[in-house]
Amino acid sequence: MTLSRSLKFLALAGAITSTIFTAQAADDTVKVGVLHSLSGTMAISETSLRDVLLFTFDEINAKGGVMGKKIQPVVVDGASNWPLFAEKATQLLEQDKVAVTFGCWTSVSRKSVLPVFEKDKGLLFYPVQYEGEELSPNIFYTAEAVNQQATPAVDYYLAAGKKKFYLLGSDYVYPQTTNLVLLEYLLSKGVPLENIGGGFKKDESGKIISAGKYTPFGHTDYQQIVSEIKQFTAGGKACVISTLNGDTNVPFFKEYAAAGLTAETCPVVSFSISEDEFRGLPAKQLVGQLGCWTYFQSIKSDANKKFIADFQKWLKSSTVPGIVKEGRVTCSPMVLSYNGVYLWKAAVEKAKSFDVEKVVAELEKGISFDGPGGKVTSQKNHHLTKNVFIGETKADGQFKIVKEYKDVFGEPFLKGTFKPKTAAK
Amino acid sequence: MTYRLLRTALLPGIAQAMFWFLLGSAAALSASTARQTIATAILEEDAEKKIGLINSLIGNADPAIKPLFDAWKEDAIFLYKAEGSATKVPVSVGEEKDTDGRQAATRIDDAQPLKAADGQPLRILTADYDSAEHDSAIRTAMKGVLDLLDLASPDRARRIQAIEMLGKSQEAEKLPPLLLVQKNVTDTKVRHALREAIALIQLKDEKPETRTAAAQELGALGSIASQDFLQQFVKDNADQPTVARAGTAALAAIANHVRNVNIVGTGFRGLSKGSILLVAAIGLAITFGLMGVINMAHGELIAVGAYTTYVVQGIFATGVVLQIPTFFGQPITVRLSGMNLSGTALDNYFLLALPLSFLMAALVGLALERSVIRFLYRRPLESLLATWGVSLVLQQLFRLTFGANNVQVYSPSWLSGNWTVSDVIFGWNRVFVIGFAIAIIFGTHLLMTKTPLGLLIRAVMQNRQMAACMGVKTERVNMLTFAFGSGLGGLAGAFISQLGNVGPGLGQDYIVDAFMTVVVGGVGNLVGTVVSALGIGLMDQSLQQILLNPVLGKILVLGMIILFLQWRPAGIFVTKSRSLES
Repeated sequence: MTLSRSLKFLALAGAITSTIFTAQAADDTVKVGVLHSLSGTMAISETSLRDVLLFTFDEINAKGGVMGKKIQPVVVDGASNWPLFAEKATQLLEQDKVAVTFGCWTSVSRKSVLPVFEKDKGLLFYPVQYEGEELSPNIFYTAEAVNQQATPAVDYYLAAGKKKFYLLGSDYVYPQTTNLVLLEYLLSKGVPLENIGGGFKKDESGKIISAGKYTPFGHTDYQQIVSEIKQFTAGGKACVISTLNGDTNVPFFKEYAAAGLTAETCPVVSFSISEDEFRGLPAKQLVGQLGCWTYFQSIKSDANKKFIADFQKWLKSSTVPGIVKEGRVTCSPMVLSYNGVYLWKAAVEKAKSFDVEKVVAELEKGISFDGPGGKVTSQKNHHLTKNVFIGETKADGQFKIVKEYKDVFGEPFLKGTFKPKTAAK
Repeated sequence: MTYRLLRTALLPGIAQAMFWFLLGSAAALSASTARQTIATAILEEDAEKKIGLINSLIGNADPAIKPLFDAWKEDAIFLYKAEGSATKVPVSVGEEKDTDGRQAATRIDDAQPLKAADGQPLRILTADYDSAEHDSAIRTAMKGVLDLLDLASPDRARRIQAIEMLGKSQEAEKLPPLLLVQKNVTDTKVRHALREAIALIQLKDEKPETRTAAAQELGALGSIASQDFLQQFVKDNADQPTVARAGTAALAAIANHVRNVNIVGTGFRGLSKGSILLVAAIGLAITFGLMGVINMAHGELIAVGAYTTYVVQGIFATGVVLQIPTFFGQPITVRLSGMNLSGTALDNYFLLALPLSFLMAALVGLALERSVIRFLYRRPLESLLATWGVSLVLQQLFRLTFGANNVQVYSPSWLSGNWTVSDVIFGWNRVFVIGFAIAIIFGTHLLMTKTPLGLLIRAVMQNRQMAACMGVKTERVNMLTFAFGSGLGGLAGAFISQLGNVGPGLGQDYIVDAFMTVVVGGVGNLVGTVVSALGIGLMDQSLQQILLNPVLGKILVLGMIILFLQWRPAGIFVTKSRSLES
């Protein structure tokens, strides 16, 4: 009895929400999908992307929309549930018939919606650093490819005279793949295998199939690993490359500091800590450690100042239910989402059509946009050319930019492209 | 031979020392050059040249270097650019600001006040100018320069770091100052660092016998830091088998030392891991072990302790904002203003947080016992479900009150250092948690065996009806026991906040481990909990050390526990009782 009643209630609620979304549908609007997790473990990170997307749509609508049509967002919740992402993608493409979708954070959610977008000929903009080795005709990767984050960080370390590299990461596809690419890259730069720490796993033929040390999500005990790092780095000129995710960074960095390791003796570069993640980390223990992204909030440019000010202003007056208004920051995935919307708008206006094939064709020809992190240009291989920054963390959770690589071409297929250099004697 | 060694090593050393003293007395003379070099380095665009310029100051005893480097590191050097001019001038600014916020500026290159075109001293607004950039490579170079100055630093840790740095550079010209310092050093740690550094530099000596002696010295010292250098040494000396053999022997000696370090280190890490398990499980050993209540919300009581620590820290620092949820409409926002303390005063927050986290968790436990658990003493399965529900409610409360993000809890400085004894690191937080676990066990043991309350608790736990017949107010004893067990959970939370994350899901990370520890130890036996916690901790760390894999070790431990419980279902220590129930 109660069950059927609550089912009815749910159905009613569903009907109401869908009418809210469809009520205003008219000829002067274009529907755009937003596919992020608004509940579950990933909600902390992904909600920020929804916020910045809604802000971007409002900004564009205030200036007349796209080809005279106002953007009408269709926000769905992937709920940190990967199969649900595929269902929601189907709903967006087949039921709501959105012109474009912005969404996904984890690689597994992207892999889950990829067949849907290919089957229904949709277009997805993906904004978060990822491992590469993928190129779908229906996805545009505004994200950092490995050569726009990991390899520049290694270049920076090599230029600083580092000789030994310890690889550490959370155990899933992004760190595993990135570290394999990094292994090849380090070998190609003449770093001998014994100077790469963290351990290797080999298959029967002796080929390395996993490089580095991995811990599961939610791991809390880093004593053993830190003492291993301490011994590995005792001789100096060593550094750590970390792809640890989210909150495992807290016990790791607390242990790291307690063992007497510092950014001066052995710096750590983390690929998964942006300004947004920093809100939940003990800043004091991370001061001086490095981050590498294609955008930092601390970039001193007029475009960035305006972007931050407009976003904060929008937040203050936003009526989105449950939106967090205090202590908000901007970070790379947010800006890459923002850039994605403007690139899509430019492509639509050039193609004079919302048709996915025509829009993609325009994007492949190369469209530039001056975003908060500098100029980005779309490439034929569905990635972006953009600036890469290396920053040092400060106690206030911001990054101080120490190095900039201009106009780095996004290259998704890196595995096997670096040939090991025989150690020069 | 010794004489020759003396002559080759010491005499130039003395010469260099004299040179240094001369330099020192001529500081005023050389001051302008060092300043000019730094000013050029600040303006240099090319990173390598910049570092080269900084390194050119090595051995320069100019007293201006250190304050200038410090200012550079602290972003206190600004790049002044006159209007209409393309060149930038690095300047430092005075302390005092005038009414417009302008500060007097001093040129870095000649220590003269910055002047406008008309020759008048210029005061500048620092916000208008960029500060001079620096990154870790530049700071490392600056450190290298300062390290030589630091050789005479009164701070022992800095002195040792300076010595190590010089040794790892392996540059022959760094040897004389080290030898000079060695002559009048009595501190054993500094002596050790000096021997290591000198031997490292001598690995590159021209004479094979000095090289061999250096390698032997490093082997005898068990110098972990020298392993990479020795490997290179063996390669470099491949044409001289005797020398290379000394290197190989030293490497073997060091490997042996590393093995010993790892054995002791693993033991210590196992103890500390065991202590955390123990601290997390001891409260449960009382509520579950003694009282028989399957309290799935115990993890959340740990989280109550951790969040209490966070709030206390907030009050000591800059204040904390809580969103107390209400069932209707908007949550109430509570702003607790902070005392804005810093340094040691702030660090002491933890001392207050410990008793408060115990109290808060005990109060929550008390409320839980009064509202839910007291109705379910005879129905363990229902209590499991009910307390699980409570745990979900509590988690959501944390989420609403403190936000879904993890909160930041700072470790006091006296918990974030370490003792390093012969290369084994004893982290203060870990030492503290071990000591704390011992204190808790001892306190609990005393409470149970030496106080009237302990007597009553034991009586009620053994046979509730009989105790009631004897006139014991069992209701009250139950209540107090449960609150005490919950409070111990809160104490564990205060600790865990020093080691890991504090978030709404904190409890979930520890509840399984806590139950596991109590069950393996034997339900109803505190000694069993202690033994099983330490056993699991040691086994976990040893397996991690052997397998070099954090996940596999944990899986193996769980597998072993399953097998162990097949063999002894009642745990390590079986509670023997004459009561008919069991």
